[in-house]
Amino acid sequence: MAAESKQENAIIVDHVKKHFKVFLDKGQSFKERLLFRNRRRYENRQVLRDISFTVKRGEAVGLIGHNGCGKSTTLKLLTRILYPDSGTITIKGRVSSLIELGAGFHPDMSGRENIYTNASIFGLSKKEIDSRLQTIIDFSELEQFIDNPVRTYSSGMYMRLAFSVAINVDADVLLIDEILGVGDVNFQAKCFQKLQEIKAEGTTIVIVSHSMGQIEQICDRCIWIEDGLIKEEGVPKYVDEHYLSEMEQIRLEREEADRQKEHAAAEEAEKAAEGSAETPAEEKTADAEKLSKQKLPAFCEKSAVRLGTGQVQFTDAALLDEDGESKYVFRTGDEITLRLKYHCVEPEKTPKGNFGYGIFREDSVHCYGTNVEIESDSWVALQPDGEIEVRFRNHLLPGRYFLDVAVHAPDGTYYDDIRRIQAFAVTSEHRDIGVCRLESQWFVDGKALERKTGE
Amino acid sequence: MKICKEIYQYRQMIFSLVKKDLRGRYKGSVLGFLWTFINPLMQLVVYTFVFTYIMKAGIDKYYLYLFVALIPWIFFSSAITGGSSSIVAQKDLIKKIYFPREVIPISYVTSCFVNMLLCFLIIFPVMVISGISLNPLALLCLPVIMIVEYFLALGMAMLSSAVTVYFRDLEHILGIITMVWMYMTPIFYSIDMIPEKLRFVYHINPMSSVISCYRDVLYYAQVPDLTSLLEAVVLGALFLVLGMLAFGKLKKGFAEEL
Repeated sequence: MAAESKQENAIIVDHVKKHFKVFLDKGQSFKERLLFRNRRRYENRQVLRDISFTVKRGEAVGLIGHNGCGKSTTLKLLTRILYPDSGTITIKGRVSSLIELGAGFHPDMSGRENIYTNASIFGLSKKEIDSRLQTIIDFSELEQFIDNPVRTYSSGMYMRLAFSVAINVDADVLLIDEILGVGDVNFQAKCFQKLQEIKAEGTTIVIVSHSMGQIEQICDRCIWIEDGLIKEEGVPKYVDEHYLSEMEQIRLEREEADRQKEHAAAEEAEKAAEGSAETPAEEKTADAEKLSKQKLPAFCEKSAVRLGTGQVQFTDAALLDEDGESKYVFRTGDEITLRLKYHCVEPEKTPKGNFGYGIFREDSVHCYGTNVEIESDSWVALQPDGEIEVRFRNHLLPGRYFLDVAVHAPDGTYYDDIRRIQAFAVTSEHRDIGVCRLESQWFVDGKALERKTGE
Repeated sequence: MKICKEIYQYRQMIFSLVKKDLRGRYKGSVLGFLWTFINPLMQLVVYTFVFTYIMKAGIDKYYLYLFVALIPWIFFSSAITGGSSSIVAQKDLIKKIYFPREVIPISYVTSCFVNMLLCFLIIFPVMVISGISLNPLALLCLPVIMIVEYFLALGMAMLSSAVTVYFRDLEHILGIITMVWMYMTPIFYSIDMIPEKLRFVYHINPMSSVISCYRDVLYYAQVPDLTSLLEAVVLGALFLVLGMLAFGKLKKGFAEEL
């Protein structure tokens, strides 16, 4: 395909707005409308506030966003199932949509007949269907069953047939909504491969998906829609990361709110329990088994795992920013302080300890780990109640991470070891990729390149 | 114009919907497709009996006189009343996928039309048996009349199907309207029997000229009155354009409303 035609816009979405009337109680008939006029109450829900974007021919674009942000509505507008309130949408060429598969399938008709019906709904003529029939049947892998009524098909077979028709329409623009979960793993791989082929042939593709992996593999560009507006647009990898880290932040904030609620409840309970009965001293020296079964304290993530003898116990752990504020989202390049508080049950029996921390990425990659002994060749003299702080420069790249903390004896016995004690997210303005940021200086012909301003 | 091109592109869809409709209509019944013929045939037998032996209408071969008018009317009225619910009936398709929405009323009216054509297969033998000579020149006009009626029915069906989506009562209201309309159309009687001062009603009724034309060809075996045919053509075109325009406006809200 010529370079100039690549520049041509296949889809132009220009300042599109869309709202829905959500009826709380709707009368359909004349009588109901007349009698219960005030019952026809409805809310106007503005789904798309102002969306504009263009897609070039042969380009693949992914739409992401949390549920209800308007991405599926955008896709429905593109297929012309819905029409915008204002603004225009221009699409050049034949559109095929993989939004609802198997439209018009009749259970009593054979697979072959349904191919004709279904393909005709995509606007194919008989001749065009005839020429594609074999490809469709081959792709669906349903040769033996093609003349059986569709009602005898399993749901996987049904979807395979439907997908095969939709993908073989030879559309100029293909719209896909979260349907790459068709059939078994083999068939999914086949669909994926077919999509890549179709894309290579110059078909314009728009995908709505929650699977960032799929979007990153197929799409050239990614559009993040939030509350009916485009929040970010660009290379899938980065947009996805920003999206994920924001999702993470929202999740953490919600968790933090829950935690505070729980904390308040716990304090209340503690107050109520105070003065009732003093706990016998021997119970305080809990053994390891007992400790691991204990309810996790409030400063731990719910999914945390606690091990250790309990001779030394962490009483608090927090990640602090440069202002000493406890936070769960940091940027690449921030200075982070990890502050640990501990309680030592019998300092005379366990005089020395070594504190350490480790950071794991969400996918279990061990990113970093160190301890006092490694760094200083010395041991911490344990106090009945003490505080340890460690300050480090965060070179981690955007993603979700878990913090592990531990304190152990010189012989290696763990007094307390809490894995996944806290989750935190890292965001970045930079676009470098990998696990961590290696500060890089570029030289071209011996001349140092100036860094981008604002970075 | 663009929409016409698109509808042409989707012709296979119209074809398969019509096929599905015709096939599905008598599905599961023992006689199946034969019912298409049995119904009008039985009607004809009843009319012949009633109007030849009980109510003598004073019109020669009244059963045929009535029959050639009634078959086209049944097509027209079923296209409107049944057509009005056609969009609502296909809501799953409309909410799921894009295609020119016009395809649905077109398919419905076409399947009614095909049914009428099959009924006509009965009319011709009856004509021959009744001793009515077939006038070849007049018969040439028959397709034209049919097409005019088709467009008339299509225009009405487009309008009624689109409005029914927003206003479901229309379906039932149309039942009454078509009944009144039937008696306002010279089906059971001839247009000459109408008092002069009421004639104007029949002139604005496009179906009266269409029915008269059918009767001219199939009962009187003569070339129909060209002015009344022309009137029908103009009205047919007008209805179709109006129906298409209204449909085009209303169709944008279908998916939301259904």
